[in-house]
Amino acid sequence: MRAVEGCLRRTFEAWGYREVATPALEYLDTWTRGMGNPPAATLFVVVDRTGELLALRPEMTVPVARFVATRWPDTVARLYYVGSVFRGELGRGNSREFPQAGVERVGDGGADADAEVVALAVDALRQAAVPGVRVGLGHAGFLRALLDASGLEEDRQVAQEALYRRDFVTLSSLLDGAPAPVRGALLDLPSLRGSGALPRARSLRVGQEALDELEAVLEAVQGYAVGDAVEVDLGIIRDFDYYTGVVLEAYAPGSGAPLLGGGRYDQLLERFGASRPAVGFAVHLERVLASSPRGGVLAPVLEVGYERSARAQALAWVRRARAAGLRVAATPAEEGRLQPGLNFRAEGIWWVERDGSRRLLAPEDLDALLEGRTP
Amino acid sequence: MRSLTVALPSGRLLADAVRLLRAAGYGGPDAQDRSLVWQWGELTVIVAKPVDLLTYVERGAADCGVVGKDILLEQAHDVYELVDLGFGRCRGVVALPADRRHLWGDPRRHLRVATKYPRVAERFFWERGRPVEIVELYGSVELAPRVGLSDGILDLVMTGTTLRANGLVEVAEVFQSTARLVVNPVSLRARSEAVRELVGRLTRVVEGVP
Repeated sequence: MRAVEGCLRRTFEAWGYREVATPALEYLDTWTRGMGNPPAATLFVVVDRTGELLALRPEMTVPVARFVATRWPDTVARLYYVGSVFRGELGRGNSREFPQAGVERVGDGGADADAEVVALAVDALRQAAVPGVRVGLGHAGFLRALLDASGLEEDRQVAQEALYRRDFVTLSSLLDGAPAPVRGALLDLPSLRGSGALPRARSLRVGQEALDELEAVLEAVQGYAVGDAVEVDLGIIRDFDYYTGVVLEAYAPGSGAPLLGGGRYDQLLERFGASRPAVGFAVHLERVLASSPRGGVLAPVLEVGYERSARAQALAWVRRARAAGLRVAATPAEEGRLQPGLNFRAEGIWWVERDGSRRLLAPEDLDALLEGRTP
Repeated sequence: MRSLTVALPSGRLLADAVRLLRAAGYGGPDAQDRSLVWQWGELTVIVAKPVDLLTYVERGAADCGVVGKDILLEQAHDVYELVDLGFGRCRGVVALPADRRHLWGDPRRHLRVATKYPRVAERFFWERGRPVEIVELYGSVELAPRVGLSDGILDLVMTGTTLRANGLVEVAEVFQSTARLVVNPVSLRARSEAVRELVGRLTRVVEGVP
């Protein structure tokens, strides 16, 4: 887990993002203001000694938005965070604490900012050794435009909630009176993806501005050389109501749920008094760990063994190796017997002699070591 | 590439679910033993407890599943609900003993309600502003009012026979339920061809299109 976290941290830092830390507890009012309709059933609410209601954070974007809006209302900022979010799932044996890491790029509203965040999403997962990363790109405005064009009035909110719940049965029953192409597109959202999706969406003459934005982002992403991992997916439904523009989700073959999700939220900071555009995503660390065959570790650990009498020579070399950025675990042999550490990703054991010379142990040397003979 | 995995619920929906899959052109040998995994050509079928079914689909152990709307309403889940399969029709109702049905007439009366659907019950009473205490049971809910464990029940009814046999009468309908086809969000994307094929074939059978 920490290894995955470390990979993401290094990638975010390499892209010029700086860490921000916000408290795990925020006033309940912050959540109501930020999320519109916070999922009350899953919030962990506590009462402090003065009777104020606070809640454990169910997500990270609202607190970061509140933080930026109140501390640096005029800044253009590239921020990242690492921390757990808390959601209570009633009646299931699920865990309630979910470690996350993510980025928020505040103050820049263009397609270039979106593209950078999309490319960073791909790079972060690839750095964490996730194979077969796919990032889908949709648009919250397109979904809203579709719902607007459906002719629903009283039932619009019900339809939107059904959509958030991915309940296409209810949605279908509500859309009986909607224009056939709009109804067809809404009910067929899950397959509105891939190369044919944009032309098909264009033909609806609905949400054209949203599609223009999406195309601009796709074009800007090309420059990052991650294009092969990115595809249009207009069926992406993010259930936080603050998204206003491009939305993204990432998938990998080994995971039954998206590894990360996010999007553009240009009106969220306004709810905290600073009108700034922003875009970001959150990575679910446990899901990344589960779908990364090497547990997120890219650099193997170098295992070094030595006789106590060669300690100074061995450790001098180890210091140099560490200074050069290698990951080194050094262990003295106990009465000629070496107990390899829990470095199950080590690619072999290096043996350092008193004269400072070193060699990679061959299998027969390892046997010798395990039997208590000096190799 | 592994075959598409479909989870079917054991119990009252199983026979109809199997019939539907066969009518949609899927099929294979009848399971001779009590095995819970059947290989049906390009389809792997697993049989799971209805209450566990969403867990299998949500976590991707199964790509698709057949599950009652009652379970979808009760459990938090992150799956796509794509097709109303039409069978397994039943209703969720609040029922009280016939001699105490008048209790429902007073919206301020505190009721103790036994149910297998605590979240649905909580939502239903909360939305109506009615005071309630929920007693969570896993079976034979209709027993609770007879032995004084609760004032009434919130449970599924199909024909009403069980209610009558226990001297209960329906006072409010909470939801209507049929079997639904649900799909894992990643399978919907990563295996879209096979999923679309399944959805299409099932929809044609359900809608009676040859």
